[in-house]
Amino acid sequence: MRPCLSHIGVILRIALSTAALLASPGAMAQIVGEKADSPPNEGRYLYKPVPDILVHSWPEEAVRLSELWRERPILLTLIFTRCAGVCSPLLRSLKAAIASIGGAGREYTLVVLSFDARDTPSDMAGLAEHLELSKDRAWIFGVASAEDIARLVRATGFWFEWEEASRQYDHPAMVIGIREGRIVRFLIGGTVSPVRVQEVVREMRGEFVPAYPLPRRNVLFRCFQYDPTSGRWRPDWGFLLLLIPGTMTILGTVWIFRRERKHRAWEDRESS
Amino acid sequence: MAERTVVSPVWLGMEQQRWRRLTSTWMMVMLLLFPILLLLGAFMRIVQANLLPTLLPEWFYAVMTLHGLGMVGTWFVGAMAAVSYILTQYVRPSRKVSWTALGATLLGVVLLLATTLVGRFGVGWYFLYPLPFYPAGIWPTWATWAFLFSLAILGVGWTIWAVDLLRAIAQHYSLRAALAWHYIRGETEPEIPPAVLITTVSLISALSGFLAAVIILVLSFLEWAGTGFTNDALLMKNLIFFFGHVLVNITMYLGVVLVYDVLPRYSGRPWKTNRIVAIAWNTVLFLVLFAYFHHLYMDFVQPQWMQVLGQVASYLISVPAAVVTIFSTLLLVYGASMRWTLSSLLMYLGVMGWAIGGVAAVIDSTIAVNLRFHNTLWVPAHFHTYYLMGVVLMLLGFAAHFGLEVSERPENGRLAKLIAALFVIGGYGFLSMFYVGGAHSVPRRYAVYPQEVMQGVDYARIALGFIAVLFLGVLLYLWETGRRCALAFRTSESS
Amino acid sequence: MSQVSIFYLFVVLAVFIAFVFLLVGRSTRQVRDVAYRAADRMRKVFFFTLTGILTVFLGITLPRMPYPAHGQLPDQVVHVVGKQFAFAISETPIETDEQWEEVSSFAPPVKVSAGRLVEFRVTSFDVNHGFSLYAPNGQLLAQTQAMPGYVNRLRMRLSERGRYTVLCLEFCGSAHHRMRGVFFVE
Repeated sequence: MRPCLSHIGVILRIALSTAALLASPGAMAQIVGEKADSPPNEGRYLYKPVPDILVHSWPEEAVRLSELWRERPILLTLIFTRCAGVCSPLLRSLKAAIASIGGAGREYTLVVLSFDARDTPSDMAGLAEHLELSKDRAWIFGVASAEDIARLVRATGFWFEWEEASRQYDHPAMVIGIREGRIVRFLIGGTVSPVRVQEVVREMRGEFVPAYPLPRRNVLFRCFQYDPTSGRWRPDWGFLLLLIPGTMTILGTVWIFRRERKHRAWEDRESS
Repeated sequence: MAERTVVSPVWLGMEQQRWRRLTSTWMMVMLLLFPILLLLGAFMRIVQANLLPTLLPEWFYAVMTLHGLGMVGTWFVGAMAAVSYILTQYVRPSRKVSWTALGATLLGVVLLLATTLVGRFGVGWYFLYPLPFYPAGIWPTWATWAFLFSLAILGVGWTIWAVDLLRAIAQHYSLRAALAWHYIRGETEPEIPPAVLITTVSLISALSGFLAAVIILVLSFLEWAGTGFTNDALLMKNLIFFFGHVLVNITMYLGVVLVYDVLPRYSGRPWKTNRIVAIAWNTVLFLVLFAYFHHLYMDFVQPQWMQVLGQVASYLISVPAAVVTIFSTLLLVYGASMRWTLSSLLMYLGVMGWAIGGVAAVIDSTIAVNLRFHNTLWVPAHFHTYYLMGVVLMLLGFAAHFGLEVSERPENGRLAKLIAALFVIGGYGFLSMFYVGGAHSVPRRYAVYPQEVMQGVDYARIALGFIAVLFLGVLLYLWETGRRCALAFRTSESS
Repeated sequence: MSQVSIFYLFVVLAVFIAFVFLLVGRSTRQVRDVAYRAADRMRKVFFFTLTGILTVFLGITLPRMPYPAHGQLPDQVVHVVGKQFAFAISETPIETDEQWEEVSSFAPPVKVSAGRLVEFRVTSFDVNHGFSLYAPNGQLLAQTQAMPGYVNRLRMRLSERGRYTVLCLEFCGSAHHRMRGVFFVE
């Protein structure tokens, strides 16, 4: 997979921020959004409102995001149809993940939105057709005005930048979970695992898991392992260690009493 | 003196003398450590009352560690020694093992004194992982080593002791008999004294607690030896609280053994095992494994079923205690031709303290309440209630009984009542300040109270007055009983 | 139920227990036989009453656990990281020691909207700490552990406006009592 999001280096960031300081706003028109935060840090945007933009889809239908999220939560992703990079694999893996977890259209709606001003609703319909999703009412493929896209980009931390050399947009691959008009979770990366989508769907349903682990290396025995498919913490090897004292004690006690029983019996014989 | 069922005639002569000497030594160690550790507790309240403003806070925390671990250890060994003595009526524990345990205990105490008072090792008595490895520049590495080493020594000594007592019971009873399962079926033969039943239940729990401690130590050493591994903080927390909870819990139960065995001698009524007693203590044996979950309510990562199980187990475990032990104590005393001595008074008050502390504990074991009471002064409030006004009184009651038995001198009834009164006024007064502090959101384990919880300073000051009253009671008690134990020791030696 | 009312409930129960013990203790002044059958009946009544009361309390209190399986969507998320001996409280995640240092020492206090649902995501970079919410009037409202390796999520609606203090409620070392954090509800 050739990543559209590439060269996220410190040097570039410094260069960009310097450029931002020096350049006039007009010169920055090439990049929309704040690339410095790439990929977007979920914590910054969590529970922040999403602008209620108008999505135009083919044939000549227009729907507000709020109409959708009032019905059910939304999984939203931003792509462009001429994308030669991450967009297609992202959509394919999202489609596969959705098919494996189920519930699309019943528990949530999927919105695939183009950020490219050149894309038209019919281009998007073509993409849907290509993905064999045009008949699936759970999926909405559409476009929005450049202004609305800019608002959406600001609210979600998404960004895109035109690269003249490849004649492609550079942009992060992300899926945004939206519940009641607010951001619940981000899925970052070009491959969407069913487990992660399931997690987002749970979160969007309002299910609450009161804790989650931080990635740590070389942890000897974990007590519990979080299982996103079920949304539960499952006993891990460490839990076995918790069972050892009780089990060993029972076995040890039985052993002591058995050992002494021989002794008791021997004593009885002796005395009789 | 009450009659005893003696195992064999040999037991009466030399053996009894030796057992008395051994028990007397244990009691004197206990009675020596008690006032010292009590003064360390008073020192903590003095610091909290802002009366030593120049003291460095790390001294408070080092003393806190010593006070906590010292008290927990002292009453555990005291209870073990007392119960061993009681059990000699029925079984033959090894004296050698008991002496070894005494040696291990003294060695452990010396190491603990060094780690805390020289090394300023301050982690609290249950050394919550990974705090021992984060000294923040206060204690040197050797202190952590010495601490873990002293725990290992105490652990090994006490485990052998517990195993030996269990072995002694096993020599005379089958496991089913010792757990009085035949009573549950409705049979009453062979007769199982309550002391045997409750001790068996306690020792089995104790061993599981010690095993948890072994796992903690092994995991700590593994991490510390530079294997590159870190431990799961949640796993360590579970193990630590299992160990801590069990150790404290069984000290209580061993204290109850003393009540079951000694109090009837003063009320003139028997206290025998029956079906309900058997059911109650077997229930306890089962539930004690789950009650510790209530220490982890504020760890939201612990699965919910464990939290719910923790509250249910904590609630239910109070039922056998209340319906069997406490109700039966009242029944034992009600309208009896009671001999109110220092021993019987303290034991009776001890059961009352257990009941009151139990109520406070059940309140705190409610998850919704724990959200606001966890690690406030409510926690020391409730555990001091069932320690100081519960098991400590039971043990002091036993020591008084023991002193009376071996010295064979009549006691001063007035002094006994005075001591009991000082204990009640001083003890409950001191505790009330913890409860009030908990109700007013004052955190536990604070050397200095910050602006937000300044009221804690006043509570500490009031508490000091009550501690003085309590200490006076303790001094009088030591004069009365300590003398007797010492005298008994000399008599037994000369004879 | 506030802490003080729970305290009064406890005092009532404790006084009741003490009264029963006193009464029974005084009964020994006049020796009498115990009617064991009546006592057994009484024990049964006691058993069922106690179990009943406890069951009722379980029923009332268990649904009030601070970790509901379902919840409303919070309006704001606040990240909290404890480390010997301060809390860093921020609206953006704190992932490194440097960020922690900066937030805990220099960042202006976080502001939370009154009456809105806030989710505190609490963790620790070293030992166990206790994250607590002390209201402007000094009352402890809620807490959760700050634990290395895990993030605990505490959801709260804070109605009273003003300065909230976060004190450490899990012993964490020599300056445990000085460990704190502050945020405002507006």
